[in-house]
Amino acid sequence: MIRYGAYLLLVAVGLVLEMTWLGRATIVGVAPDPLVIFVMVVGLIHGSEEGALVGAGVGLLQDIVTGVPLGLGMLADQVVGFVAGLGGGVVYIESVWMPAVSAAALTSLRVGVWALAAHLVGLLGGPLLEVVRVDLVTACYNGLIAIPIYHGLRSLDRALVRFHEESR
Amino acid sequence: MVLDAFARRRQFVVFIVLCILALGVLTTQVRSPEQRRIGWLGVAVQVVLAPMASGLSRIGDVVDRGWALITEIGRLRTENRRLAAEVARLREENAQLQDAAQEAQRLRSLMAVRQQSFRTVSARVIGRDPSHWFNTLLIDRGPRDGVRRNDPVVTSEGLVGHVIEASGGWARVLLVLDPRSAIGVLVGRSRDAGVAEGQGQPMLRVKYLSRDAEIQPGDQVVTAGLGEIYPRGLVVGTVVDVSRGEGDLFREALVRPAADLNHLEEMVILVAEGSQASR
Repeated sequence: MIRYGAYLLLVAVGLVLEMTWLGRATIVGVAPDPLVIFVMVVGLIHGSEEGALVGAGVGLLQDIVTGVPLGLGMLADQVVGFVAGLGGGVVYIESVWMPAVSAAALTSLRVGVWALAAHLVGLLGGPLLEVVRVDLVTACYNGLIAIPIYHGLRSLDRALVRFHEESR
Repeated sequence: MVLDAFARRRQFVVFIVLCILALGVLTTQVRSPEQRRIGWLGVAVQVVLAPMASGLSRIGDVVDRGWALITEIGRLRTENRRLAAEVARLREENAQLQDAAQEAQRLRSLMAVRQQSFRTVSARVIGRDPSHWFNTLLIDRGPRDGVRRNDPVVTSEGLVGHVIEASGGWARVLLVLDPRSAIGVLVGRSRDAGVAEGQGQPMLRVKYLSRDAEIQPGDQVVTAGLGEIYPRGLVVGTVVDVSRGEGDLFREALVRPAADLNHLEEMVILVAEGSQASR
């Protein structure tokens, strides 16, 4: 429970930062999305089931807070958590470049799923090239910020698991 | 053995159930009038996060202003000279417009045209939608200040959008650029009617203009006042391109919004007279 409480607090802080400061820190009009890295870490460490569940929760909260129709972020983030969980058994988790490459790939996947779902329900009619541009820029941006966030979150997660085991 | 097989497939079952749930929520949302309905849970989340966003936004504004002060001193001197000249020109224009306004007032009372009157509530932006395609803002005024759903929002330059959610001391504004926004408008001197739709991009697309409409780049676009949200005559933007629409039945125009929607900090909400602030 403590771990999920800490997750909720982290997500709340992340959401407020996304709405306020990160919205100003854009590169060619695109803001970073550190919550994708959070969902990735949960999926990589705790498996695809927990990754998908946490991803769905984070995405739903993100939809509520950011003003988009509910369900879009929920779908995209749960896919990210699930795929990260599947990848957890395949990739070498201690590799130096793993966080950056995984964050870039999963961010690209998130933007793709998000745009596809929005297009399918008739909410997004923009040109495909614009979708590709935003996808690539967001992926690179998240790849750049992924390494410190990944290590910070992993250390926090380890500490929370240890605390949970010691308090049993 | 059956349990083992289930345990192996459980993650896929959970994933598929979550996908169905997310798609269900999404399709329900898309069917609702504003293509978004957050319910009491969403309002509760916003009530918790809006004060945090307001505090962080204020800190960000202070940092931005400090940085601007350092970097813009040279530019401000030139700008000051230009503005002084513009003030003189605007004073002259203002005198002419006051004459015209008085004349319009007389004519309006003669025609007994009843227009809904508004009072204004100024608001600050405390949060933005970081997604690239949807355009909403969180502002620091809500029902506590008399702000209600569907109240129009403007700046001195032109129309910004309208309120889609409001609770306590915050409200969410749907910008005119959002794909969920559609406004009845009049274009150019010929006052051809059309519908200005957001595309999630920097330009609005005005659809359903008559194929014989006399529209050219530079023409002004104003609200038609046909729906229940926007009053007549609010400046929406300027035509930048005109083209033939689907099947050549209609013309379409690309319109650049008059308000700088990417750098909004303060705005004004038009609240219908008689709307009381809730305590």
